[in-house]
Amino acid sequence: MNLNKSWKRSISACCLAPLMVSVVVGCGTSAQQGGTTAAGQPYTITIMSDSFSPDHTDPKSNPVIQALDKYTNTDIQIQWVPNSSYADKINITLASGSLPMVMLITDKTSSFVNAAKSGAFWDLTPYLKDYPNLSKANPIVLNNSSIDGKVYGIYRSRPLGRNAIVYRKDWLQNVGLSEPKTINDFYNMLVAFKTKDPNKDGKGGTYGMVVSKYAGPFDIMQTWFGVPNKWGQDKDGKLIPAQFTPQYLDALKFFRKLYQEKLINQDFAVFDSTKWNDPVVNKQAGVMIDVADRANVLLKTDPNMKLGIIGAIAGPNGLKSPATSGYAGFYAIPKESVKTESDVKKVLAFLDKLNDKQAQDLLWNGVEGINYTVQNGAAVATKQSDPDTNSLTQLEMSIPSELYTKAAQTDTSKLVDQVEQANEKIVVPNPAEPLLSNTYAQKGTQLDNILNDARIKYIVGQIDDAGLQASLDLWRKSGGDDYIKEINDAYTKVQQKK
Amino acid sequence: MENVPVQEPVLSTVRPAAKKTIFTKLKRDKWLYLLLFPGALYFLVFKYVPMWGILIAFQDYQPYLGFFGSHWVGVDNFKNFFMNPDFFRLLKNTLILSAYNIFFFFPAPIILALLLNEVRKAVFKKTVQTLIYVPHFMSMVIVASITYVFFTTEGGIVSELVSHLFGRQIDFLTSLTWFRPLIVMQTIWKETGWGTILFLAALAGVDAQLYEAAIVDGAGRWRQLWNITLPSIRSTIVILLILRMGASLDNGFEQIFLMTNALNRQVADVFDTYVYSVGITQGSFSYSTAVGLFKAIVGVVLIFGSNFLARKSGESGIF
Amino acid sequence: MRTNTVGGRMFDIINYILLSVFAIVTVIPFIYVIAGSFATSTELASRAFFLIPKTFSLNAYQYIFSTDTLFKSGLVSVYVTVVGTVVNLLFTTTMAYALSRRHLIGRNTVLNLVVFSMVFGGGMIPTFLVVKGLGMLDSLWAMIIPGAINAFNLIIIKNFFQELPPSLLESASIDGCTDLGIFWRIVLPLSKPVLATFALFYAVGHWNDFFSALLYINDSAKWPLQVILQQFVMMSQGTIGDASSMDPTFVKPPDQSVKMAVIVVSSIPIMLVYPWLQKYFVKGVMVGAVKG
Repeated sequence: MNLNKSWKRSISACCLAPLMVSVVVGCGTSAQQGGTTAAGQPYTITIMSDSFSPDHTDPKSNPVIQALDKYTNTDIQIQWVPNSSYADKINITLASGSLPMVMLITDKTSSFVNAAKSGAFWDLTPYLKDYPNLSKANPIVLNNSSIDGKVYGIYRSRPLGRNAIVYRKDWLQNVGLSEPKTINDFYNMLVAFKTKDPNKDGKGGTYGMVVSKYAGPFDIMQTWFGVPNKWGQDKDGKLIPAQFTPQYLDALKFFRKLYQEKLINQDFAVFDSTKWNDPVVNKQAGVMIDVADRANVLLKTDPNMKLGIIGAIAGPNGLKSPATSGYAGFYAIPKESVKTESDVKKVLAFLDKLNDKQAQDLLWNGVEGINYTVQNGAAVATKQSDPDTNSLTQLEMSIPSELYTKAAQTDTSKLVDQVEQANEKIVVPNPAEPLLSNTYAQKGTQLDNILNDARIKYIVGQIDDAGLQASLDLWRKSGGDDYIKEINDAYTKVQQKK
Repeated sequence: MENVPVQEPVLSTVRPAAKKTIFTKLKRDKWLYLLLFPGALYFLVFKYVPMWGILIAFQDYQPYLGFFGSHWVGVDNFKNFFMNPDFFRLLKNTLILSAYNIFFFFPAPIILALLLNEVRKAVFKKTVQTLIYVPHFMSMVIVASITYVFFTTEGGIVSELVSHLFGRQIDFLTSLTWFRPLIVMQTIWKETGWGTILFLAALAGVDAQLYEAAIVDGAGRWRQLWNITLPSIRSTIVILLILRMGASLDNGFEQIFLMTNALNRQVADVFDTYVYSVGITQGSFSYSTAVGLFKAIVGVVLIFGSNFLARKSGESGIF
Repeated sequence: MRTNTVGGRMFDIINYILLSVFAIVTVIPFIYVIAGSFATSTELASRAFFLIPKTFSLNAYQYIFSTDTLFKSGLVSVYVTVVGTVVNLLFTTTMAYALSRRHLIGRNTVLNLVVFSMVFGGGMIPTFLVVKGLGMLDSLWAMIIPGAINAFNLIIIKNFFQELPPSLLESASIDGCTDLGIFWRIVLPLSKPVLATFALFYAVGHWNDFFSALLYINDSAKWPLQVILQQFVMMSQGTIGDASSMDPTFVKPPDQSVKMAVIVVSSIPIMLVYPWLQKYFVKGVMVGAVKG
């Protein structure tokens, strides 16, 4: 989310239980690093992770952390850092030289990649097979989270098939259509939502789909037309960026048609992503293309809506949906704080244990009887927002799958799960996800801007085919060519290794 | 003055007419040096000790490797920056926006403070002062979203009004021509009230006797304004202007970032947003430090240059 | 009193109207924020702009005040603001006074270095390493001392001191005052409007600061209010697309209005400082002090 990023960064702070103040970032008396002092004594593990929560129970009196300590025979010491400023904190932590034993890495930034390549973090690839849960990690996601094929961290899994179309089912019934299967059906749905008074208020003023500044919806729709997910392969097996595939122009022409016929909001180029839900709730727009769980958020604002979710729309190549990266950050193990191979194994054993059903339950729900109860097989939290567990959910890696007891599901949340599962079979992965390019590390944002700007200008009709071509040429000249070359070099290298 | 205790009269009152040695001057000012000391120490420790950070502009700095472990790359970062095809566009956008701000925003708090100064009803004055300083506390995110609400072509009040009055719609938010006026308007709206505080403080120091004397001389309101009020805050204005010149290449990242979109980026891109995209999001410290160093050098030249000009024209400047 | 001509009265009327209009224009969006903080999420989604919510809801405030952390962090913020402002004024005025005396040897060098430091800075990591080296991490002093002097403020205060009638300082020193005495007994009392102004500037800076807390404070018990409030905003924000690192099933708080309530809660306390300081802005303070 673009908009957030800016001020996320200006936001601040990080937290940590008073106990361990000196352990982690920058205060490091290195004597504090983990290790067993005597046989059977709990092993101390320091963790740095992100948090969305405003408050945390003092770990000394937090029943959940105590239960986790006991279950893993570890003395867990966590430093919580507000998610909004996590990137800055990683850099400072790397610079300060006092690293925690387990460190969440949110992005493969150049400072992390460089640190990893300089040997600051353990290459975990050879060890994973020895652990019951970690050995069953999803190979696609593992590959995605790796750096040129080497796994430096244990990922936090997220659904691969999370992208979907959320629409107002009540509207579709009102206009007398059935769920769209093809691109043409989808177009007809938008037309009907604009012209046939889908909300039955006799006034009009509705349009088909709401799109925000955020480029996601176009990226998702593109794949219906056969455009690859960021990178595709040409007939020689070389990787080419999505915008250089012939289908890309087909997709753009379709988007332009939607815009010209006013089936999407005319101000989408400036539409704030945080208001994205509003037109749907407000009975102006009937369709949103984003993650499937967007439906849950929409229903929270207006529980009376009837929503449908479609995983994908069939184009010339059948059903396609772009795969997400499948993870949200990974936990890396620095060599500075975890010195020996036997220590790495202990830390990995600990991370592996956090994926057991029992530990997953603790992380997600807390201690049964204190933080939640189980009714009809569903978890019921005792408090709406529980400082015991609020942040611990961030440690949930769910490898190989989510085993914790879930809260009672609504029809919509069940549908979300179904769609996500069905999508896994049709997702288009991005073959370049684990590959690194120096040029992109330096100029990525500008390259992305050139591309996104050109796409939007084309859609709103500010540039024509020639203008688009000129922008694509500019992209190549501004570093795109180097980027393509570097990605292909990296790709060949990884392929040869296999 | 009778409250002032008599302390060590010898030191401060003995003033030999002949030139003093440096030592006696230092000794005379010992208390001043004592007062100077904490501040000087602060600048030394917190501003000058970290100054080595500038050198990473000549490195490929990696936080993990640290200053001594990172590679030296000479002026590569500067080369990349100046050779960047966007360099002149960025420079132009940055300078034009700064010029807009200096011409349109800079005088706003001064004018407002002068208007407030003319208000004689204390309650009205205090109320207005308090209300106009409120927007300073609104986050830029909120300001941007309110701007959207008013200016969007999908039913924004201003947009509708314009199309009623002029018969055509103007898309302020994506327009290349309207980007800068919009930014300046936001700044004027948000910071003018806050900016008046300093001038009101300066005005509070004006000797009321001067006005009384002027009235006796038959000076009207305008004459008083020109001859007494304005001169009394002139040096503050000059200093603020000089210091503002030093920030000519800073446009404030957040506001511009929030108001930028695909359709107006061409005029919206400035050094600050550029540094954000290469430096912060890509984590390239050295490159953004190099850009920062360039901005700083320009800033220092402008500060000392304008200070020189100010002193030439008889102002005291910052010294 | 001043002359009361027709032109003068016309000027007054126009002036009053202009100021009233500007005051209303500037304050209305804030009223919208307050109204929004009491509105339901449905209303916020459906009405672009309003000054009175149709349905009055306390959800956002209930959510924010559901934790006693808010109160604790408020105390941290008040402490940092009060102590920080005192430290700021102490450091800044002493240095400014010394620099305002033109005969001081080395004055220009120091001033040059101060101006230089306004534009050249070492950056985040080097400064962090200094603070760490001084052992200030995790201490509230880390949110106070590294920003003890703002060079911009220093220069302006120095300028104000320089503008004080030289005859006054002269006579004081003839009366036998040391520079310390002149500073304390003459310069400071004469500069009340200036001190009030910069107290406000510094206090607002401390109150709104969360970046130094991010960098230097690891202990959640020492989080200032702004950090806590930003966490609320982050939590209440719907996350978008794959970029989200929050788990999709995470229970989000109910309202968009949380964002607005956060602005209200975080800004109102500090806004109240200004009206209270306004008494120091009364004209003629200085003259009175001189005569007294």
